[in-house]
Amino acid sequence: MYTPILATKLYVPRPRPGVVLRPRLIERLDEGLNRRLTLVSAPAGFGKTTLLGEWVAGCGRPAAWLSLDSGDNDPARFLAYLVAALQTIAPNIGEGVSGMLQSPRPPPTESVLTALLNEIDTVPDDFVLVLDDYHVVDAREVDDALAFLMEHLPPRMHLIIATREDPPLPLARLRVRGQLAELRAADLRFTPSEAAEFLEGVMGLSLSEEDIAALETRTEGWIAGLQLAALSMRGREDVAGFIRAFAGDNRYVVDYLVEEVLQKQPERIRSFLLQTSILDRLSGPLCDAVTDQEEGNVLLGALERGNFFVVPLDDKRHWYRYHHLFADVLFAHLMAEQPDQAPTLHRRASEWYEQNGLRADAIRHALAAEDFERAADLVELAVPSTRRSRQEATLLGWLKALPEELFRFRPVLSLHYVGALLSNGKLEGVEDHLRDAERWLDATSDTGERPEALSAEMVVVDEEEFRRLPGSIAMYRAGQSLVLGNVPDTVKYARRALDLVPEDDHFLRGAAAAILGLASWASGDLEAAHRSYAAGMASLQKAGNISDAVGGAIALADIRIAQGRLREAMRTYEHALRLAAEQGDPVLRGTADMHVGMGELHRERDDLEAATRHLLRSKEQGEHTGFPQNPYRWRVAMARILEARGDPDGALDLLDEAERLYVSDFYPNVRPVAALKARMRVAQGRLGEALGWARERGLSARDDLRYLREFEHITLARVLLARYKSDREERSIHEVMGFLERLLQAAEAGGRMGSVIEILVLQALAHQAQGDNPSALVPLERALTLAEPEGYVRVFVDEGTPMARLLYEALSHGVEPEHTRRLLAAFPVAESEQTASSRSRGPESELVEPLSARELEVLQLIAEGLTNRDAATRLYLSPHTVKVHTRNIFTKLAVKNRTQAVARGKAFGILSQT
Amino acid sequence: MPNRLDQPMVYQIRVKGHLNRRWTEWFGDVTITPEDNGETLLTCPLVDQAALHGLLRKVRDLGLPLISAIRVNPP
Repeated sequence: MYTPILATKLYVPRPRPGVVLRPRLIERLDEGLNRRLTLVSAPAGFGKTTLLGEWVAGCGRPAAWLSLDSGDNDPARFLAYLVAALQTIAPNIGEGVSGMLQSPRPPPTESVLTALLNEIDTVPDDFVLVLDDYHVVDAREVDDALAFLMEHLPPRMHLIIATREDPPLPLARLRVRGQLAELRAADLRFTPSEAAEFLEGVMGLSLSEEDIAALETRTEGWIAGLQLAALSMRGREDVAGFIRAFAGDNRYVVDYLVEEVLQKQPERIRSFLLQTSILDRLSGPLCDAVTDQEEGNVLLGALERGNFFVVPLDDKRHWYRYHHLFADVLFAHLMAEQPDQAPTLHRRASEWYEQNGLRADAIRHALAAEDFERAADLVELAVPSTRRSRQEATLLGWLKALPEELFRFRPVLSLHYVGALLSNGKLEGVEDHLRDAERWLDATSDTGERPEALSAEMVVVDEEEFRRLPGSIAMYRAGQSLVLGNVPDTVKYARRALDLVPEDDHFLRGAAAAILGLASWASGDLEAAHRSYAAGMASLQKAGNISDAVGGAIALADIRIAQGRLREAMRTYEHALRLAAEQGDPVLRGTADMHVGMGELHRERDDLEAATRHLLRSKEQGEHTGFPQNPYRWRVAMARILEARGDPDGALDLLDEAERLYVSDFYPNVRPVAALKARMRVAQGRLGEALGWARERGLSARDDLRYLREFEHITLARVLLARYKSDREERSIHEVMGFLERLLQAAEAGGRMGSVIEILVLQALAHQAQGDNPSALVPLERALTLAEPEGYVRVFVDEGTPMARLLYEALSHGVEPEHTRRLLAAFPVAESEQTASSRSRGPESELVEPLSARELEVLQLIAEGLTNRDAATRLYLSPHTVKVHTRNIFTKLAVKNRTQAVARGKAFGILSQT
Repeated sequence: MPNRLDQPMVYQIRVKGHLNRRWTEWFGDVTITPEDNGETLLTCPLVDQAALHGLLRKVRDLGLPLISAIRVNPP
């Protein structure tokens, strides 16, 4: 995982020696283990963290701990830390998930969580996960992740949330169901006896009972208040007088007491406390850098020993933090007393973090110092690694925090902004920042040398990125044009990028070539599309983006399928799966997409079982092993299997889902789901709805033909053909025939043999609909010839009974007999067309074995009422041979007598209906 | 008073205890007025609802008991 993990965030706070033991609360936490969630919800300073630290040490279960901070509002970072926290108790957890988070295109948070939960399920022992300071979370995505976690909580995991405000979970429901254990302010505040134990035992004060009661009343048992009070009283002569004054004062407890505490400190400690209040973590060296002193380590140790609201963050005492409330008070003092100092302190902190390689913290403090130039420098250098760790939200947050005018002089940073926007799917702002970057480029020579006159104004920190700028700009211009649907510009810029990007910059070259391929695809130039896209994938593979190269196979295979090269498409998928396996990760992201594609090919070959197997395999692997398109593609593939199995309603439900889940992911939408739905409606006889779709899409048989509309147009031809079958208008069929001829020519010109086969099939059906079977056989024969070598089956079988009749007709004319027989065998017995005598066979539609030409002849004669003997005479055969044929016909049609054989023969369209 | 909630507005937030004026900066431009009854009135010009919620978070983070928050006419 690229996210650098700060171990301090995972540190389980150890119980401090001499801490007040709170058996009543420990007991309730123990009991809470029987429920799903324990919520410790109370304002700052109620000892939530201390209590949980003490309980975890003795609860007898391993505990994973995560202290949240505002950076965890980036869901990618939150997940990275969640995994890291779980790894402290089960080192193998999250191995698969880490891979997903590293992926150049990370899956949705829920997919990552699902995978993580599956891995958690393998942990053999009960354990606890503590999310501390959950109130800092202010991001919907992270809240959603928590809700998802809660809904699917593995039985061995108990979740504990410590927070200042109730998390957005259905707490009332959990309460009613007895699934929630709660500790709130009323439970956490010190009872008088606990207050006494704390003040005397821990803080070493000896106080009268009245004094303790007065303090307890004044602070209302608020632990932070009591601790501050104790600090104020230490070493004081007149303790009773102090308590009287405190009790009689109206001031906010913290104001009153911090004033007291700070007043008592020597100046060097007081100023140390105020200056370091800008830090959310403290280490000796960092404090030295910020205060410009050299006793950070000593002071931090002393503050911790003195119970001074300093919390250790590790066992080695390298890192501490102030109690959050205390830090806020100190910072308020700093701002009130020396407001001008804060920027200087932040800048020093930023420098220290930069020198120590913690760039994100360096950027945070530079922004706090409002030193935007410095922040911009740091961000420019941090972009590549931040992008690799997929913290897009963090990155965009930084870029947005910078003043807009600053980008105008920073071409590299400007282009990074473009990248961040495009990868978040945003177009707004892209054009402006591209222009900002281009302005400088226009003024420089082609080699990327910086002319002297300009270098004074232009700011570039990352020189290497600057050298890549011409190519990067062209690549992003191409990407922008692709999103805008402007194919000519996409091609222009992608070509320019390929001219400009050096041979060894595999990532940029790969991205540009892939974009070029997508543009060619959208314009229907399939050969060029395949060539460019394949080159792009090869470059991405060289750049180490294996997952992209694997997932990219869906585009390559889609193109091959459009070309009618099914076998090559299958090889493309198989090659990609091998590539994934070679990485040692057979479920590498992208492999789920391969199984969906292979399922589609098996379906076309009518191996529905293999097709289903691949789809289930894809599902089992989980959506996180697929690219963004996979959820919708999976549903389309499954819908077509259901359709083939005779479940059109189930298929349509899935297509509805697919329509909702559709994402283009830059791919041209060559097979719109709505058109698929219209096809299924035609097959169901719901002609009105199908016509409605065509109207809605503004489709007409007179349209100009474009590749991107081809699927819709062929669908329209189907709709119009169905209309002719119902209205028998001469005009309709002429329209259909003319349209199909135009579509055929276009498909042939574009080398789209998949479409050619389908159009030929439709032409055959159109002739048949006019009762002209001899004309129908011409396109059918051509379709059969083209389809045979690639193993097409469903393109014929999906047409149902009319196609079965045509195929028998073809068979009787000796057209591709073996192939035709194989196709006929794939037709199911359509139940609705079964006669009464065969309906008793039940709903499971047996596949029919095709009859031989001779058997067909015999069946025809049986239908005409001839006896075996007469038939034998007519066919110049022996009666015995005819009897054998008759037996074979009965077996193949699964019938018992001549009457049933004739009925089934008619049902299949083998026999004329007369 | 504008009725739209995305318009700038003024809120008066009442908390328990007297709050020192040094918190003015920390809260970001609020007027801190201690009242005789031991409460403090924070008068806050806010740009929108989101700013109000941010301010309430700060009240929460100090552990100040919140008594009321009302919208008032700008002075």
